[in-house]
Amino acid sequence: MEFLSNLTPMFFLLIVAGALIGVIFGAIPGMTATMAVAVCLPLTYALDLNSGLALLLGLYVGGISGGMVPAVLLNIPGTPSSITTTFDGYPMAKKGEGERALKVCIVASLFGGLFSAGVLFYFAPVLADFAIKFSYVEKFLIIFLALTVIASLTKNMLMGIFSGVLGVWLSLIGTYEITNGGNGETRLMFDFMEYYLVSGFSLLPVLIGIFGITTIFQDAEKGFKGEAASPTIKLAKGPRFSLRIFKGQLTNLVRSSSIGTFVGMLPGVGGSAASVLAYTQEKNFSKDSSQMGKGAPQGLVASESSNNALTGGALVPLLSLGIPGDSTTAILIGAFTLQGIQVGPLFIGDNIDTWYTMIIALVVANFVMFGIMFFAIKYIAKVIEVPKHILYPIIVMMCVVGAYAINYGIMFDVWTLLIFGLFGYVACKIGIELVPLIIGFILGGSAEVYFVKSIESYGNLSIFFTKSPIAVFLWFLIFISVAFSIFIRVKARRSDSLVSTS
Amino acid sequence: MESQFLSLLDVNIAFDQSHLFFPRLVTYVLLGLLAIILISKSKKIYPALRQAGRAVLYAENGFDRLRFFGTLVLIIAYFYMMSVVGDVFPNTGYGFLFVSIPFIFLLATLYVEIKSRRNMLIIAINAVVAPVLAWYVLSQLFRITLP
Repeated sequence: MEFLSNLTPMFFLLIVAGALIGVIFGAIPGMTATMAVAVCLPLTYALDLNSGLALLLGLYVGGISGGMVPAVLLNIPGTPSSITTTFDGYPMAKKGEGERALKVCIVASLFGGLFSAGVLFYFAPVLADFAIKFSYVEKFLIIFLALTVIASLTKNMLMGIFSGVLGVWLSLIGTYEITNGGNGETRLMFDFMEYYLVSGFSLLPVLIGIFGITTIFQDAEKGFKGEAASPTIKLAKGPRFSLRIFKGQLTNLVRSSSIGTFVGMLPGVGGSAASVLAYTQEKNFSKDSSQMGKGAPQGLVASESSNNALTGGALVPLLSLGIPGDSTTAILIGAFTLQGIQVGPLFIGDNIDTWYTMIIALVVANFVMFGIMFFAIKYIAKVIEVPKHILYPIIVMMCVVGAYAINYGIMFDVWTLLIFGLFGYVACKIGIELVPLIIGFILGGSAEVYFVKSIESYGNLSIFFTKSPIAVFLWFLIFISVAFSIFIRVKARRSDSLVSTS
Repeated sequence: MESQFLSLLDVNIAFDQSHLFFPRLVTYVLLGLLAIILISKSKKIYPALRQAGRAVLYAENGFDRLRFFGTLVLIIAYFYMMSVVGDVFPNTGYGFLFVSIPFIFLLATLYVEIKSRRNMLIIAINAVVAPVLAWYVLSQLFRITLP
């Protein structure tokens, strides 16, 4: 019960601050939860692990939830995962039920968040216990499986695989660390680069560059025209919100939250996938889906409970296997490393207090998010009117702080921001998928160590198939994920050709 | 028979070359994938490149040349000047503070759509307040290293 001593007033204050900043970031279209975490990361350098996590988890939950505000009022999803909230939220707002719609979203979000926190609490330790027995062979296969799942679920499978492999390649630049059993030689660079790249590109500047600076270039290209011209719907006094809307929605809530949690666990699958899946399932299974798309609360419930359920889900593979479930948890890995903590199967057992503190932070963050949004929604709705020409320069500045301070003052880390900011911009243009790339980048280094060590100790490639029943099972999962994606694609192509012929 | 087949999969990694084994493998896979992508998309590449070139050269398709390249130039100047000024006042964070103020002002001026007096006033106040606040909180209160 030692973790109770971590629960200081400061701890709760940081959650509140995190959730509030997160909601604001989420509410501004084009700025995401990932960006919120990236920008606020420097603040955690000065905090201890538990306080840092309180802030970051608050940001994460707030950021995902904030996306509902512009989705309802502007018909623009504030974060990608709020895409289906626009389908029913905007029509409701047009009817003058904006506040009611938002409150439905808020309650659904709370349910989704708490549901997934529960799943995280019970499931992550089980998975971690299972994963502790893994040798290098199985660990390599787990990473291989993660990358396969990511690649097979992207829009264009070939580009998805290419992006993942490119991420791995980028992570190999630098030294093959002696601490990992390597020989300390550098590779994949020219001699003149050695001074800067001895230890490769640092994870956090790469992430901050790709998720912070890239967005700025993308918006700069569009020129900030007509920013204020979009038809914001003001919150009018509509019909009062009451919990009675949720009568008969329990199945929907549980189903959508489960979908969100599960999708969150799959590495690299974006939040939009979860909410779209939950929304279509509600449409297929509910007794009366005729109003969906025209302003039905049940659509909002499906969308918002599933996207908030992502938070807990995405933390499951992070805390049990060391594999981030989405781009925001990818940055959390950086925050852990910063505090000298390795996330992986041993994390929960070795840091039991931190683990309980995290769960409490996650649950509290959900309630704080609920409190902030439910009672201050009128003011938050105004935030989306803050112009980007004020915000974006500040974001660049905060990105610089984050990158510079990470290794206690290395200017090359700041240039890394620009290199990867531009790289992310070009990559989006030519169809490279950033999330598989990032996950590949994070896992590449460990993949190398596990792969090379496995071969060094067994001297034969067949070990990857014959090491243990778990290895065989992992190959089975890899096979399933590839087969599934081919099946989906063939089906989509067939229905496409049916549409074009008829 | 079986052992002969298995020996085909034998791999030996010399320790002094072990840093190259995995990177080489990944590079080959990457080049292979690149080749497949280039071949399968070969018809689309040239028109796409031409379109991108036209967007950059003649500002077509709503490509805002001034704001895009302005951002790029400002960021490069920002990073460069920060280390130059930071070297003049080492370990104080003044490089960050003094260079951030003009950077935020210029970038906001570049982005703002209507340069009315009111907007410019807000931008000017923001350009001073935001870096000072960030510098004070991070560098003075939290003792975080700044350029």
